[in-house]
Amino acid sequence: MTASAAPPLIEFHDVTAAYGRRPVLWNVDLTISEPCLFGVVGPNGAGKSTLLKAALGLVPLVGGNVRLFGEPLRNVRKRVGYVPQRETVDWDFPVSVMDVVLMGTYSQVGWFRWPGRRERQLAKDCLERVGLADLARRQIGRLSGGQQQRVFLARALAQQADIYLLDEPMAGVDARSQEQILHVLSELRNAGKLVIVVHHDLRTVREWFDAVALIDRRLVAAGATHETLSRENVQRTYSGVVDILDEVGHAVERRSRTS
Amino acid sequence: MSFGYSKISKCSVFRLILSFSLVFAWWEPNAARGVERPNVVATTTVVADLVHQIAGNRVEIDCLMGPGIDPHSFKATPRDADRLARADIVFASGLHLEGKLSVLLDRLARRTQVVQVTDSLPKEKLIRVTKSLYDPHVWFDPILWSECTKKVVVSLGRIDPSGSTQFADMGADYCQRLETLDQQIREKLSTIDPTHKVIVTSHDAFRYFGRAYGIEVVGIQGTSTESETGLHDINRLVDLVVTRRIPAVFVETSVADRNMTALREGAQSRGHVVRLGGRLYSDALGAPGTGAETLEGALRANVDVIVSGLTGEN
Amino acid sequence: MNLSNMAFEGLFAYNTLVVMIGTAAVGFAAGMVGSLGVLRKRALVSDAAAHVTLAGVATVFALTGKRDLPVLLAGALCAAIVGVAVLVFLKRFTRTRDDAVTAIVLSVGFGAGIAIVAGMTARGVPGSAGLEHFLLGHTAALTSGDAALLAIVSVVSVSVVAMLFKEVSLIAFDQSFAAATGWPVAFLDYLLVVLVAVMVVVGLPAAGAVLVTALVVIPPVAARQWTDRLVVMLMVAGLIGMVSAVGGVALSAIVPRLATGPVIVLFAAVIFFVSCLVAPKRGLLARVARSLRSQGIADEHG
Repeated sequence: MTASAAPPLIEFHDVTAAYGRRPVLWNVDLTISEPCLFGVVGPNGAGKSTLLKAALGLVPLVGGNVRLFGEPLRNVRKRVGYVPQRETVDWDFPVSVMDVVLMGTYSQVGWFRWPGRRERQLAKDCLERVGLADLARRQIGRLSGGQQQRVFLARALAQQADIYLLDEPMAGVDARSQEQILHVLSELRNAGKLVIVVHHDLRTVREWFDAVALIDRRLVAAGATHETLSRENVQRTYSGVVDILDEVGHAVERRSRTS
Repeated sequence: MSFGYSKISKCSVFRLILSFSLVFAWWEPNAARGVERPNVVATTTVVADLVHQIAGNRVEIDCLMGPGIDPHSFKATPRDADRLARADIVFASGLHLEGKLSVLLDRLARRTQVVQVTDSLPKEKLIRVTKSLYDPHVWFDPILWSECTKKVVVSLGRIDPSGSTQFADMGADYCQRLETLDQQIREKLSTIDPTHKVIVTSHDAFRYFGRAYGIEVVGIQGTSTESETGLHDINRLVDLVVTRRIPAVFVETSVADRNMTALREGAQSRGHVVRLGGRLYSDALGAPGTGAETLEGALRANVDVIVSGLTGEN
Repeated sequence: MNLSNMAFEGLFAYNTLVVMIGTAAVGFAAGMVGSLGVLRKRALVSDAAAHVTLAGVATVFALTGKRDLPVLLAGALCAAIVGVAVLVFLKRFTRTRDDAVTAIVLSVGFGAGIAIVAGMTARGVPGSAGLEHFLLGHTAALTSGDAALLAIVSVVSVSVVAMLFKEVSLIAFDQSFAAATGWPVAFLDYLLVVLVAVMVVVGLPAAGAVLVTALVVIPPVAARQWTDRLVVMLMVAGLIGMVSAVGGVALSAIVPRLATGPVIVLFAAVIFFVSCLVAPKRGLLARVARSLRSQGIADEHG
């Protein structure tokens, strides 16, 4: 491994996390040095969200550490964007789409001050990119699932980060919104950002993602998608269940191509 | 060898001391007690005083509520309930003065002698508050209060028959003293300017006093201290105090005086300064040593405070 | 209630004005601060804080023997702050549910207070009986000093909310995002509940414990019916709190024998019910009208 001039974008060193006595992540060693669209997949409860939260300092680590751009998180927080899971929020909260996206600019604005014209313009641009520009004034409860996810994405975009961590951004989202989101993520990758996405659908991962990590409380495998997402690795991670669904998915695809 | 000897020695000394203590423990109380006195529990200091004036040292009087305790809101603890249960006789004031004890006293009445001293008073002589509720602050009319002595004398006689004559004598004596006191109060109160003859206090404890001596009595909170005042009532009182140019208002020893402060501020805003005349004994007598630990002492003290308050300079 | 004794001139009496100013200030501040608490789903923190104050009041009285309002309020404040801090602490570190920790703090604090008061009464400490009445409030007897204190604390609370508006609304809306973007979530969490505790303690003489909880909860919930925008919700909640206070005070000045504190709360409750019925979009009538309309359209096209 040649010594590169710049430190790796993100490094997980021997990361172990537990909730009380229950370990959710064991000894995860993972380094990503290049901007890419990176997927994190695995069965339910495998610790995928925990991996992201570990990078963000949202869960206490029992062992190991995470470095971003070679530094601890507190030095580089402004360069990390976050899209949490949709359930973390009460969507009946009296805020509009624009209000939520503006929240992405709060760190830049700092204590006591109010987002100004610059921030509002930035928010508008982010809303354009995710295709929600005309819904800026709508209260967030009156959006569809896909639109809600896109609001969260716009908020993360407003953070103007270099690394983006997204936790199930396409859960419960219709196919069209999913494609829109994936387009935005690809654009980010093309602009030189690292985008790490916890995702559930292996087929989308195969199609869109450059690299992937398979997690089942420990790191099963990681690397370029076409190599890492082998049948064997997937089986080891999911213990065979998803394999069948994957097969069915392939069969359907083959059928639709031939017909 | 020496070790074993000192051990035995310590042990036997210990046993000796122990047996002596046991003998003394059993012996002592009997020696000191002599004849056992009846155990009387009174609820308020006022009732305890009444019983004491009649019974003297012939009974052991235990008072449930101390000086400065508000009987309207007093709640009995398990220890209080215990003391009440162990009494030979319980004297209460009655007419729901001890508002929160009524259930306890009712239950107690099935097992022990419970005497409500105001029971014997004819209802026509009482001040009615609502259809079924009477004002319980009877002791502020000494003559009316003296009519309760008969019931106390009879009740005490039942538990201590050998003292019946003594109780009757002391009872009569007390009634005489209360009559004299009544006269003295009338004389003192006559020195007050009739237009200023208004007592404004925290709650309606002094209605009997007012009726007996021709003084207007206004309580902010009504008959019980448990109710919250309304703004209308406070404004009305400010009006009264200002239009009649009343020089002083009075607080009570057992009730908080926040209403008074608001009243005085209201009057001041209209250019009339109202002094705080002093503390009146209302639902409880004074602490021992103040001179107001008996009803006579407390009434005298109250009258002095009232007179100096209502005749003083503005 | 003797209606023939109504006194309309009482509206302009000095005492009426003093009480109006004090309670209006509390009503406004409680509405604003309470909005954030309600949105955090921590509405009952105010209830816990109010009940815990008894332990503080009883302790302070036991130590000093004084019943002056500032002294008792200081004790109440300490107890309330400790109480809510314990509440937040329990929630963060033991993963117990919000309603459970609220119940624990409320009952333990209140029970301790009752025990101390009963102990003092049993021992005959003068002035100790009826300390619990502190929790009932003496709204009608507010003095100018009380009103001034209430006004100052209210202004300070509202200022804190205004200054930290974006920070506390971010915490209220999305804690994970706030933490991830580097905001001190724990600190702001404690700050918010301490603010609620301060409001409650200051509101105690004005409205009493149970009633102050009502002032912190009812106006925000009523305000929510009228708007979908956070800033507007806070302003409307403050306004409703203020109007309830002024209305309740006015009514109790006119009609005899009406305890002022409870009337204020009844006013707020009436405003709440009316809001639920009449508010555009979220109100009951509006929703019924909407469904009838869409029913009509469906019938037309059906």
